[in-house]
Amino acid sequence: MGVWDILTTYYPAFLSGLRVTLQLSVIIWVCGLVLGSALGVAGSRYKLSIGIPSRAVAFVLSGVPILVFLFWLHYPAQAMMDVVIDPFYTGAFTLAVINIFAVADIVRGALNDFPQQYLTAAKVTGLTRRQTILDIQLPLIFREVLPPLLLLQVMLLHTTLFTSLISVDEIFRAAQRINAQVYRPVEIYTALGVFFLMVCLPVNGLALWLKHKYTRDLSEH
Amino acid sequence: MLSARGLTKSFDDQTVLRGIDLDIAPGTITCAIGPSGAGKTTLLRALGLLDYPDGGSISLDGMGYDFPREPALPFMPSPWPTLTCVFQSLFLWPHLTLRENIMLPARNCNPQAEKDIEGLIALFEMAGFIDHYPNQASIGQRQRAALARALILNPSYILLDEITSALDVEQTARILTKLGHLKERNIGIFLITHQIGFARRMADQVVFMDGGVITEKGDPDILFHPKTARLQQFLSTVEMVY
Repeated sequence: MGVWDILTTYYPAFLSGLRVTLQLSVIIWVCGLVLGSALGVAGSRYKLSIGIPSRAVAFVLSGVPILVFLFWLHYPAQAMMDVVIDPFYTGAFTLAVINIFAVADIVRGALNDFPQQYLTAAKVTGLTRRQTILDIQLPLIFREVLPPLLLLQVMLLHTTLFTSLISVDEIFRAAQRINAQVYRPVEIYTALGVFFLMVCLPVNGLALWLKHKYTRDLSEH
Repeated sequence: MLSARGLTKSFDDQTVLRGIDLDIAPGTITCAIGPSGAGKTTLLRALGLLDYPDGGSISLDGMGYDFPREPALPFMPSPWPTLTCVFQSLFLWPHLTLRENIMLPARNCNPQAEKDIEGLIALFEMAGFIDHYPNQASIGQRQRAALARALILNPSYILLDEITSALDVEQTARILTKLGHLKERNIGIFLITHQIGFARRMADQVVFMDGGVITEKGDPDILFHPKTARLQQFLSTVEMVY
């Protein structure tokens, strides 16, 4: 049984796993990008009340392995609160929290490090506040944050595999189940690897291309 | 007239400006010279209303600004771009071509911007690189674009901070020659420079700053016959180098 045979025979299981992976990813990406950007902007504007506390949380989170955080929220936290939450939502929440604080860190850093001289130039040439934001700040900040944000989202897509360990039926768990039935690990995990390569490599490539193209443009000399 | 009276400015416990009085008339060139740390750039940024002085007042064509002033308080009406600046680092927006850098602010205040830019391209010989991005242009080319960006705004006063410091002799001569055209357009120019020869030939007023004060001020004759020992010493040092 080759890779193609396995894919055609077990495609409903693969598709089901793929759907769960994509659902997880969309939740993580949307929450992370929307809430993380908002938190980053707020943290840059209100440094004492929001910026420093959110950086402290991001710092603590960066010191805890994702798997430990996920397991802690799935087992001890739920036991302490005496609740049982669907592993899908536990996984989505865990990874979304990580994404929110990581995105906020990137956005806040870009805003705080924005070269003041471009704002000075906007001021002395009489640009309005709206023009300064729309024509100068947003395009430059967008170029600055886009590559790391894309790379972060790819990394988060990879980490959705961890949710299989708390019984979320995403694509890796689907692959494990199929393998348990047919025992064709080489073909099955190769197919899984090819799937991730097809999704992640173009995004990684785009991120690197954007980084190469735009970050050098920020230099005056 | 752009006038300053009694400007003072300190950073932490270091006083950088100590009661500066200065008048810059339309259609004149004022050259500010002096050693590093004399307060020239601080004065320029204060005159440009970018960094507020701690005390004193600035008057721009009859509009008065008294200091100290609340930092968040906006200027009504805005002094820019009637008053504009070009800095040593040019601050060209890196995501826009040189043409876009010039046209973006120009559209706000110059209805003839599309026509005027062609004149500036000719004046500053920019035809070959006007559609390049800043990082694709040489320092001299970027310098000319930065000046053009300021000029298309039809300012009454332009403050220039060592704009030729990174240029070679030919590029410096090319830029400084253009300043004569600005004078003809009745623009008041404040120029921080180490080009003593230019100040002698082209300036209407020369100010020598040292230690946060203007120690000598007058027509370019003070560069030929300095009254203070400090200016004499400074000029002899500069002439050794340039």
